[in-house]
Amino acid sequence: MTGLRRVPIGDYGLIGDTRTAALVAPDGAIDWWCLPRFDSPPVFGRVVGGDDAGSFETGPAEPARLERRRYRDGTATLETTWAVDGGQLTLADSMIAEVAGRLLPATTLVRRLASRGRPVEVAVRLSPRLGEGRARPARIRQHKGALVVEHQGLAMAVLTDGPERLDVDERVVFTVDPSRPLTIVVGVSDRTPLVFVPPALARAEAERDERGWRRWAEGIVTAPEHRATVVRSLLTLQLLTYSPSGAPVAAPTTSLPELLGGSRNWDYRYAWPRDASIGIAAFLTAGKDREARAFLAWLLHASRLARPRLPALLTLHGRPGPAERELHDWPGYAESRPVRTGNGAADQHQLDGYGWVLDAAWLLTRAGHRLDGETWRAMRAFADHVAATWHLPDAGIWERRDKPRHHVHSKLMAWLALDRAVRIALERGGRAARRAPGWEAARDRVAADVRANGFDPRLGAYTAAYGTSELDAAVLFLPILGIEPAGSARVAGTVDAIRERLGAGGPLIYRYLEDDGLPGREGAFLPCSFWLVQALSGIGRRAEAREMFDELVALGGPLGLFAEEMDPRSGEQLGNFPQALTHASLLQAAAALDTVAPRSSEVSGRELPPPIIEGRRAARTDER
Amino acid sequence: MDWGGWAVFGLVATTVLTAVLILVQLAGRTRLDLPLLLGSALVADPDQARVVGFAVHLGFGQLFAAFYAAGFATLDRAGWWLGALFGFIHAIVALTVLVPLLPGVHPRMASDRAGPDSIAVLQPPGPLALNYGWATPLVTIAAHLVYGAVLGLALHPS
Repeated sequence: MTGLRRVPIGDYGLIGDTRTAALVAPDGAIDWWCLPRFDSPPVFGRVVGGDDAGSFETGPAEPARLERRRYRDGTATLETTWAVDGGQLTLADSMIAEVAGRLLPATTLVRRLASRGRPVEVAVRLSPRLGEGRARPARIRQHKGALVVEHQGLAMAVLTDGPERLDVDERVVFTVDPSRPLTIVVGVSDRTPLVFVPPALARAEAERDERGWRRWAEGIVTAPEHRATVVRSLLTLQLLTYSPSGAPVAAPTTSLPELLGGSRNWDYRYAWPRDASIGIAAFLTAGKDREARAFLAWLLHASRLARPRLPALLTLHGRPGPAERELHDWPGYAESRPVRTGNGAADQHQLDGYGWVLDAAWLLTRAGHRLDGETWRAMRAFADHVAATWHLPDAGIWERRDKPRHHVHSKLMAWLALDRAVRIALERGGRAARRAPGWEAARDRVAADVRANGFDPRLGAYTAAYGTSELDAAVLFLPILGIEPAGSARVAGTVDAIRERLGAGGPLIYRYLEDDGLPGREGAFLPCSFWLVQALSGIGRRAEAREMFDELVALGGPLGLFAEEMDPRSGEQLGNFPQALTHASLLQAAAALDTVAPRSSEVSGRELPPPIIEGRRAARTDER
Repeated sequence: MDWGGWAVFGLVATTVLTAVLILVQLAGRTRLDLPLLLGSALVADPDQARVVGFAVHLGFGQLFAAFYAAGFATLDRAGWWLGALFGFIHAIVALTVLVPLLPGVHPRMASDRAGPDSIAVLQPPGPLALNYGWATPLVTIAAHLVYGAVLGLALHPS
């Protein structure tokens, strides 16, 4: 076993079909691909499982230099171009997202290779492994020109239009002539008959899919100066949405470390209601109402069994998250162990989640979408639950595994939950409006409590939790909630204190600095940097916010993808990749910068401030 | 065949089956909501869909009750245990054959092959309808046992 290969996390590219996703390294190797779904075991797991966990190498067989990596504009097709002596080789990777109504496998990977200048030799090595045991496929056979690989109910059919025959674990060299591109197709079936997709058809389907993505991207509404960034982030969020259920996947990977060589390695292949709510806001501000409503539909369906409690995380089909386990003989990324599956945060009480959800419901209401009776009943139940439990300590947004405490951010979000419930109730009128006074009273109690216990007069800032002088970057939402006037000294003091004390250099900030019970210090937390942009914009320091946003976007590299964290010294991305929360936060920040109208700075009775996400309403041109 | 019993007790048994499913759903054991699933094929609003779906479900229940009545007549015997046995077979067929067909005919239900263009909002049921909660197959079997037992008790074999 070897764990020596280490591609920087941020150098990977993402491809997917909204049911699963793969990571492609700059050398063309697929080092991560879970099948048949995001949360299934990896078939190619080298990124955290070492060579024994499988990979799918496809790249130049001769000396070459990486010339360019990019996504084709407005699509999910990743293009890698290498320069070779006297020529050029381009690999275009994609999966076919839209298969409904056609006899295609549920998942089809298409790798298209083309050369320029002269014929270029390409080496291909397919090494699928399956499950935690990293087992070689149980059955491997050739069938009418296709390599068929089977392991229990899962099967892959690999076809090429080249003359050579592929075999498992064999390095096969093809010659790609400028006049004759090479296509490699991998069709996947899970407990269904295999569908053999001829390379010519696969190529046509991939091109058709690209047109679909372009149409979808054209419907995105955003300011021209941020368009490329916003489109890439929205496309990434869409690729991380599990279409059969509408679940937002936090990230397609497990155990990419938040500290190289450390143990802060978690499984993010699940859906967090918090992410769904932030996603609703992100899609709404970009004019993608349909996607926003799909997230809410998933959230309601998934949380049904636990209601009125909101689970911290759920599986893609809304079941409770699986118990956390460690894969002891997996080497981990850069020897960062353990590699984990499942997530231990599933059973935590996290008060902030309700605030996100009710704010998302309010956003939809404000955007003109009537909440149906079932949705309103769910929101009502959440609001009642918050009114009854806001005074209890919780695990907080960071899912700390030590003792629950009174997190200031959680209290702020409890306030937000009750505030948005009041607004929705008043908007609905009739019997619903009669619920408002009770929630209003609870909201005011939360406000009084957090103002009395969460603010440190010596620091001039809101703290991380009651009784501590430590800070928490999650409190950066303060200026845009409305609990305090955005122009107040308390708000400005909190933003400045967080920036100063949690700053990690440049636009980067840590989410907190206090001991969280885990060894070592993690990297700077990228969503917090985008929240800082939003906060600065919220308190009127827009030039500063804009400058910081531009610096942050530049950190994403040519592909525009972001992990959860970044090492402030090396600039290397850390944590699971790419991360939906970071991209949703980026979109929030971009929307805040694009907002034309100034934010309200006063909270008075029912003259309420704008919700968390402020953005221009969009024309509904969102059909792919 | 006991047509009179079929007309009355088909409705009774289906109502009891629906009530069992709703009670278990309210207890938080399953997200399976048959009136919603059936009704949302015809109308989008969940509250209206439940009403429509309940009516549709009564119709299906009546249809299946005719098969039960025919079964009792063919075997020339009836009883709660025989009805429950029919109910068990009915539940297994529903879980393994009928429910998996739903994504193919339901305009608002996604399938496991759904892509970003999908406008379906209902989740596919998955194998044995497990996507609606781990207890769903057990609840479905239990409800059909009750349905069959009611028909077995109430219907005459001939």
